[in-house]
Amino acid sequence: MMMLAKQTLSRISFMAVLASCLLLGDGMRNGASSASAQEVHVSGPLAGAPAVKKLRLWRDMRLHLEPFFAFTIGDEYSRSLIVGGELRFHFLDWLGIGGWGGYSVAQLDTNLSEEIQGKGVTTNANRLDLPTRQNFSQQVGKLNWWSGVEVHFVPFRGKLAMFQKVFFDADLDFFVGAAFVGVEERADAVGLPSPGDVSECQIEGDPNADPGCLGSQLARSKRTAIAPSFGIAFSAFFQDFLGISFRWRGIPFKYNTGGTDNNNDGRIDSNDRLKQFNSMFTVGLIFVLPPKIKTTD
Amino acid sequence: MRRKPSRPRSRRAKAISSKSSPEGPAEAVPQRDEIAEEIYAVQQIYALRLKRVELAPSVALSLNDPYLKHYGLGLALNYWFTNVLALGVNFNWYDWGTNPLERGTNIIPRIQNQFRLGVPINDWQMGLWVNFTYVPFYGKFKVRKKIFQWDSYLIGGVGIMRTQPIPVFDAAVRSFDWQTNVAFNVGIGLRIFLTRYLTFFTEFRAYMWPDQFENVDVAPDDADRNNPDTWLQSDSTFVANTSIQIGLTFFFPTRDYQLPK
Repeated sequence: MMMLAKQTLSRISFMAVLASCLLLGDGMRNGASSASAQEVHVSGPLAGAPAVKKLRLWRDMRLHLEPFFAFTIGDEYSRSLIVGGELRFHFLDWLGIGGWGGYSVAQLDTNLSEEIQGKGVTTNANRLDLPTRQNFSQQVGKLNWWSGVEVHFVPFRGKLAMFQKVFFDADLDFFVGAAFVGVEERADAVGLPSPGDVSECQIEGDPNADPGCLGSQLARSKRTAIAPSFGIAFSAFFQDFLGISFRWRGIPFKYNTGGTDNNNDGRIDSNDRLKQFNSMFTVGLIFVLPPKIKTTD
Repeated sequence: MRRKPSRPRSRRAKAISSKSSPEGPAEAVPQRDEIAEEIYAVQQIYALRLKRVELAPSVALSLNDPYLKHYGLGLALNYWFTNVLALGVNFNWYDWGTNPLERGTNIIPRIQNQFRLGVPINDWQMGLWVNFTYVPFYGKFKVRKKIFQWDSYLIGGVGIMRTQPIPVFDAAVRSFDWQTNVAFNVGIGLRIFLTRYLTFFTEFRAYMWPDQFENVDVAPDDADRNNPDTWLQSDSTFVANTSIQIGLTFFFPTRDYQLPK
């Protein structure tokens, strides 16, 4: 199956490359060889002058305090709505370091999760995976809190006009670092009497049998996952001390999203964790300190 | 933040004024007055779209379909009848002649095994839309000594989307043709000008349409089971799929145009 999927991708890639080559080739013949953006040629008394004078330094030796609201995207069973804050200090206008943290104030079921709660079927063959469909939302993995430290690079900056009336300074912030995420998953349990024919469970640390695995479905365990984090943000500044940011952040790590026996070994444990490319979209308000901005000569 | 442009100030001798003298008639003497001239240096718009045709080949990748990945090749054609507003069409082709389940995510077998749940899935063949494009934002950014112009646009329109249910619940009996659905789309894009006629663009599009999926119920008697009228669900389901599209745009004519003085 994977082989054929690769063939499909290869065909599409080949056609895309071919089309691009044809179009670019045509463009080159028409003089596209100078595809190098806008060259600024200045002669006269301004020759040799810096590209920008009176450049406003939004970040240089300034502190950015950013309360934000975020939501996760691409989740299988449960989305997180997050409220948090971020603090960054920039040594240079293009380089800084910061920390962020947030708490998941709400968890929303995905459509798939609702489908399972409405139509899922439980037999002894899958009782460990789905003890009851009604309580499925309580067995899925949840991401309760988030934090991290990151280095920020701001290589691109500029200004934009909105409706040809309002003008903003704006920049792109690339960041990379480490994240710490509070993960809540279904607790370890063993399906009995045998994998594929489960009538009861044995919850880790509980000597009593759990008929129908109903207790196991609600039993939870918590841990802190450490993962790389990276992303990109678009920031626009309205006042010397105020701006807005739109941020995408990716935090890939493994966890048991559905609280299920994903490796079919008859038990729920850490081996059932699946790779997840967790990502979130954030909208934040930037408060800058000190409020007075510096400019270059 | 509105940035106030720099104000070079010039000083020049301006006038000759009269100076009265008690001894005699008024004597004309030169006098230096200071005048503050405000000179605003405004850069002309780097690339004009007005009355140009835009051709945009692209690749498309679906983002939020949890069951199938959809890879498409697209082509858009726009005519800019103002500098910020265009009318055009865009076309995406998704059917590459392979079994769509090859593009299935690993969540499909997990759902079937772990929850005994079948999920009706539709594949996509093509989409064709008529769109309006509006450019409310434009700007520039500097990379070393190069200045790149960019704009951000909103796009939306109406068209058709051809889809086909993949027989899952009674694959031995059921087969489906492609069906044409009225579809809508909205999106936002970013375009970076590499030259005055060549740009790189990426856009986020949400394609929406009411779709008919395979009926999850199989009739017990052969007469109804073999009746194609029972194969589809009676109600349509509103589908909203998001895609990211990346490509190049070419503005025609490519020759340099005369900017207004």
